[in-house]
Amino acid sequence: MTGINQIARYKLSRRRFLEGATAAGSVAGISTLGLGQAWADEQPKPAEIVVRAWGGVWVESLKAGVSDPFTQMTGIAVRHDLTEDNEIQPKVWAAVDQGRVPPININWDTTINATKSALRGVTEDLSDLPNLANVLPVAKPEGLEGVPLVNVYAYVYVLAYRNEAFPSGAPTSWNDLLDPRFKGRVALYNDGIGMHAPAVVAGGGKLADIPANMQPAWDYFSKLKAQNPLLGEDPDFTAWFQKGEIDVACTISSNAREAKKNGIPVAWTVPKEGATLDTDCLWIPKGLPAADLYWTKQYVNYAIGQAGQQAWLGPLGLPGVVPGLTPPEDLVGDLSYPTTSDDLAKLLQVSPKIQVEHQSEWFAKFKEIMQG
Amino acid sequence: MRHYSTAYPLSWRIFDAVEALAKRVWPARFAPWLPYLLLLPALLVTGLLVIGLIEIADSSLHVLDKATFRSSESYSLENFERALTASLFRNIGLRSFLGAILVTAVTLVLAFPYAYVLVRTESPILRKLLLIVLFLPFFIGQVVRAYGWLIILGNEGILNTSLSFLGIGPFRLLFNYWAVLFGLVQTMIPFAVLMLAPALTAIPKETERAAESLGANWIRTFQYVVIPLARPGMVGAAIVVFTLTLTDFAIPAVLGGGSNDFIANAIYDQFFRTSDAGLGSALTLLLIIAGSAAVGVALLLVGIGTLGLAGHDDD
Repeated sequence: MTGINQIARYKLSRRRFLEGATAAGSVAGISTLGLGQAWADEQPKPAEIVVRAWGGVWVESLKAGVSDPFTQMTGIAVRHDLTEDNEIQPKVWAAVDQGRVPPININWDTTINATKSALRGVTEDLSDLPNLANVLPVAKPEGLEGVPLVNVYAYVYVLAYRNEAFPSGAPTSWNDLLDPRFKGRVALYNDGIGMHAPAVVAGGGKLADIPANMQPAWDYFSKLKAQNPLLGEDPDFTAWFQKGEIDVACTISSNAREAKKNGIPVAWTVPKEGATLDTDCLWIPKGLPAADLYWTKQYVNYAIGQAGQQAWLGPLGLPGVVPGLTPPEDLVGDLSYPTTSDDLAKLLQVSPKIQVEHQSEWFAKFKEIMQG
Repeated sequence: MRHYSTAYPLSWRIFDAVEALAKRVWPARFAPWLPYLLLLPALLVTGLLVIGLIEIADSSLHVLDKATFRSSESYSLENFERALTASLFRNIGLRSFLGAILVTAVTLVLAFPYAYVLVRTESPILRKLLLIVLFLPFFIGQVVRAYGWLIILGNEGILNTSLSFLGIGPFRLLFNYWAVLFGLVQTMIPFAVLMLAPALTAIPKETERAAESLGANWIRTFQYVVIPLARPGMVGAAIVVFTLTLTDFAIPAVLGGGSNDFIANAIYDQFFRTSDAGLGSALTLLLIIAGSAAVGVALLLVGIGTLGLAGHDDD
């Protein structure tokens, strides 16, 4: 089933819901969110809630899949704040520390960043969300007290490439990035995210070496530095592929898929060494008024429900945390959309705890090599 | 008989009342202090900056505790040690300083003739045109201008496309150190021209004519008359361009391709990527100290009077 079909299916179900709501009043919407009627009646509704999001296809899919239905059901407007995740973090931390109402109700964040916020103690506990009973174990964070964040999907940092650059077939190894013909035409994230684990393996090490022995990764990055790679963010990769600046990149599969949908001749693969599997999450900062917190939690609850996940993640081509989601037709059997334990075994996972502990040190080393 | 109010209009009486009130609030004996009173708003604004700096200085003395992602309670110089010894920051610091020096030199060379023609041209149309070209970049903004260079200098940009018609290229013109310096020079030229123009305006045309009448050719006049007399503007322009370049963020970020960071980019990384406000604060303080020291040394060498800031010059 394609993403478009999924949206169509979702719209039908929403239409059915609205028909019901017309008959039964807004009670139906509240029931859909899984609220107790008496409790819901007691909570005054805020005029809006603010959800920090990534731009482009990311926010569009969230709006269509979660925010718009939430507004239809509750009458609460949802505003999307596109401030970068790294930049909103200190603002939220400062607001919580100073006892102010935080600037956002929900942070759609990387699990690594969110784990830092959880360790700092600025996140609300989400363990009372009714839909948590139906999610896969991956939705709940490891090694943290309670449920300070909820993982909402997984994603893979694939090797994306321009079709013309590989006329005889897809690249098979991360070491293909070291081919001299790609000098100046390789792109990575500017903080090296997504590449540390593959670099360890491509550099001759093993996943189990992380974090004790990262030398294979540093050796690999040193060789890659000689290729004069471009370092950027998500939108840069799309622009660089579009303008013919690069041939290969380590990027999130959704970005490559979106570029392909927009007519850019790119494809992606998971090389033999594997590719990094990571998660994104939703979390709520402390300091919201009680009623706002209540309705904000209902938004998160809807986002991890079956309907919300299917409609939100289908267009992004990402596997959600609810069992039984239908994958997009073009991603069936694609390792970038892992659905089985065999798929997961071929991917590289480093626990958020290890990543948080070592992020600063790895970042500095990566920068040191690339800025040399 | 004429009415009193006609002889002494209401507006006069209001002004009298205001004057009387002003005398009560600020008696004549306070007059010498008036300039200092007018300084007060600027001092308050600067004072707020100092408060921020004190906060940054305090933050720089606390190491990040990765168990809680909060600053540790104890004071230490560890952040400064890391900032001064890590090769990453040493490379970025050297790159920033070298870049600032090169950009300042090239910008002055390019801005000087522009400013000279701007103030000396007899053609009002040319002067207006030069002024428009000078001010236009201010309305566009630095980031948009940087992206403009991506369009012009990219692999499939205007320049490479033009070269391809001649059968050459494409050349990688972006995402290297030279692209960053080029973007910075383009950004800084308007600032330098604005600093140089008043200094050149202050040089009487007659001085140049006198030199020429005494046999000096155009080059010697420029060398021995114009440039020495324009020194205050040149020093001012050099300081402004140097400090703005040294602390620039956007141009290295956009045109550097991620591997030609300046110090401001490294500071951003610490505050927003690794959440290490202590290390970011230490780098910030070191940048302020190093930048101020460089400017201070330059002023010592040329004399503060060069800027026209001393009543009786010593240079």
